[in-house]
Amino acid sequence: MGIKEVIETINRMQADGVIERYAIGGAVGATFYLEPVATLDVDVFIEFHTEAGSRLVSLQPIFKYLCDRGCTAEGEHIVIAGWPIQFLPAGSALVQEALAKAIEKDVEGTPARVFTAEHLAAIALETGRAKDKARVLQFIEADAIDLDRLQEILTRHGLAGAWQQFERQFLK
Amino acid sequence: MKVDLTPILESKRTFRRRAAARPLAEKLRMLDALRERTLAIRRSTNPGPAKKDVTHQEYDTGNWKK
Repeated sequence: MGIKEVIETINRMQADGVIERYAIGGAVGATFYLEPVATLDVDVFIEFHTEAGSRLVSLQPIFKYLCDRGCTAEGEHIVIAGWPIQFLPAGSALVQEALAKAIEKDVEGTPARVFTAEHLAAIALETGRAKDKARVLQFIEADAIDLDRLQEILTRHGLAGAWQQFERQFLK
Repeated sequence: MKVDLTPILESKRTFRRRAAARPLAEKLRMLDALRERTLAIRRSTNPGPAKKDVTHQEYDTGNWKK
């Protein structure tokens, strides 16, 4: 049991047509670029297809698919291989772009789609909690992001002000 | 007593760089272990809580203690 099994399950869901494009974000996504940091769950971003005229998204097909295969639902999470997984819609233009530009990484022969480091940092800046800002700092200190590319993303999504504030607070 | 933090901080940076440079599969196994450890600590510091895994939602609402 472990995250690799989670990734294999998500890949199977994709192959079975339960989900389309997906990408891992959050702390687990960051681990693909940085040192591992303790986290309790896995954030998986997916494209939701809403029914015509509806703005609501339903996780029911995903939960049903997984529960039929022995997984258990716990509130907003579903537990796969011991890990609570949160399936999240690409709700903002930034996350939609991150999902579209996610890259495939190889985990001992298992493909895993993950946000780019720059998109992970941009999303963390947009989310803006203390732990998210700490993650942005980690990316910078580890030299794990292309700062020019990050700036482009931030400008495109109206986050230049947030970046200036972050710079003043932590980098100057 | 004065302590020069420079070598300590450099040592920490080196450790973090090495951890970040590990193979992906190994880093993901480290995440598995870190999560287990975090849950074990939470259970031991809060006697008698959840026997099942803890999700953020349960933790945030305090439901995991019930």
